[in-house]
Amino acid sequence: MLFAFSERNKITVYLIGDSTMADKEVEAYPETGWGMPFHYFFDSTVTVDNRAKNGRSTRTFIEEGRWQPVVEDLKEGDYVLIQFGHNDEVPTKKSYTTQDQFTANLIKFVTESRSKKAIPVLITPVARRKFDARGKIEETHGLYTQLVKDVAEKYNVPLIDLDKESQELVQQFGPDASQYLYNHLEPGENAHYLEGRADNTHFSELGARKMAQIVLHDIQKLNLGLAQHIRVVHQKEKK
Amino acid sequence: MLASVFGLLSFTMPVKKHITVWMIGDSTMCQYDSSRFPLTGWGMKFEEYFDSSVTIKNKARGGRSTRTFIAENRWQPIVNNLSKGDYVLIQFAHNDEAKNYPDRYTTPGDYRKNLIKFVTESRDKKAIPVLITPVSRRKFDSAGNALETHEVYSKIVHEVADRYKVPLIDLDNMSIGLLQKFGPENSKLLFMQLEPGENPDYPVGIHDNTHFNTYGARHIAELVLRGIENLHLELADRIVKKKS
Repeated sequence: MLFAFSERNKITVYLIGDSTMADKEVEAYPETGWGMPFHYFFDSTVTVDNRAKNGRSTRTFIEEGRWQPVVEDLKEGDYVLIQFGHNDEVPTKKSYTTQDQFTANLIKFVTESRSKKAIPVLITPVARRKFDARGKIEETHGLYTQLVKDVAEKYNVPLIDLDKESQELVQQFGPDASQYLYNHLEPGENAHYLEGRADNTHFSELGARKMAQIVLHDIQKLNLGLAQHIRVVHQKEKK
Repeated sequence: MLASVFGLLSFTMPVKKHITVWMIGDSTMCQYDSSRFPLTGWGMKFEEYFDSSVTIKNKARGGRSTRTFIAENRWQPIVNNLSKGDYVLIQFAHNDEAKNYPDRYTTPGDYRKNLIKFVTESRDKKAIPVLITPVSRRKFDSAGNALETHEVYSKIVHEVADRYKVPLIDLDNMSIGLLQKFGPENSKLLFMQLEPGENPDYPVGIHDNTHFNTYGARHIAELVLRGIENLHLELADRIVKKKS
């Protein structure tokens, strides 16, 4: 009886999205998706199942049969965190998804999650590191971020405006220090990137953790039931 | 046909003998449970850069000096398991030099003896010891210069390395350079520095200038890996190297 009770209270949080969220192969480290640190923040009742994949848009995620298995596994009380946009919004990419199709796909994720009594959460696409000449961060997902917000409003879906909040974080770091949040490596610094790297989309361990913390704090602000399962630690500060 | 045979041959890699890299040291190097994330010892990131011919055994433990590491019988089991061609990476001093912790403190004379013990007993088993000076603490003067924080004990590591011809990685010096590059303010990003409420594992925050977060641990691991390359150790051939 006890066992059955505790099993029923286990929650799975599915992450669906692109490379900014995905788990990485060790040989791609230190590039880090924000889904990687995200799973450290919960107690033992929560399993984070990161299904996000590099390069995927809502369209290719569905076409490759990555969504249907999630639907089949969903049970009542599970969560589905949805963050796409980076690969949907670029017309020159094979993964390009028109605005209408992007909207339709988000609605599909939401309604099919709900049909299994799971809780969908929409997340606007996390910011790229792009500053104007005066050192002000630029919006790089304008249209697709708005589509996420529109779907959230129309279908009453909890929304995390990660685009806006991550821009604020990157702005706070500024044009120079914000490089530490992303996968920036000097030539010869890291064996996995011998020629160096200056990536303004994908995160370092630091950036990934900061983004995961934003998502976590919004889960608390939204008063989602999931917030009750964030690990509680009693800590004394010591110098 | 012939071309394809040669093509195959040219891709046949020489089989590398499997080796173990043993890591002995303190809290700056050791493993941590995920419940303490983002606290990360540099050994945890170091092990992500080797091919499958290498097993990393990170035996470092928080709070240990050379003296207590030996006294708690953490060294002898390693000696018993060393094989020819294994490496022993040795990084202590943070606790040896802590006079205010008598349960850890090791006199300079004993510190030297213990390092020599690690070196000679490794060599008795035909393993390769590598001495590493202690990674720097974050300490700047008012002009923004990163300061030496292990003066006496780093010098002893140098002396033992010199006298016994042990490969040396001067991590103290390299990490001071790293801290200087980041500067007084941004260097906090490498350490366990969290504001209250920022991270659920540290609800009241933390301001630690000794222990690294994941990001800092990786940067320190990069320095040690570079040290191995610069020494031209055979171990360097087992580092996974990829173009960008």
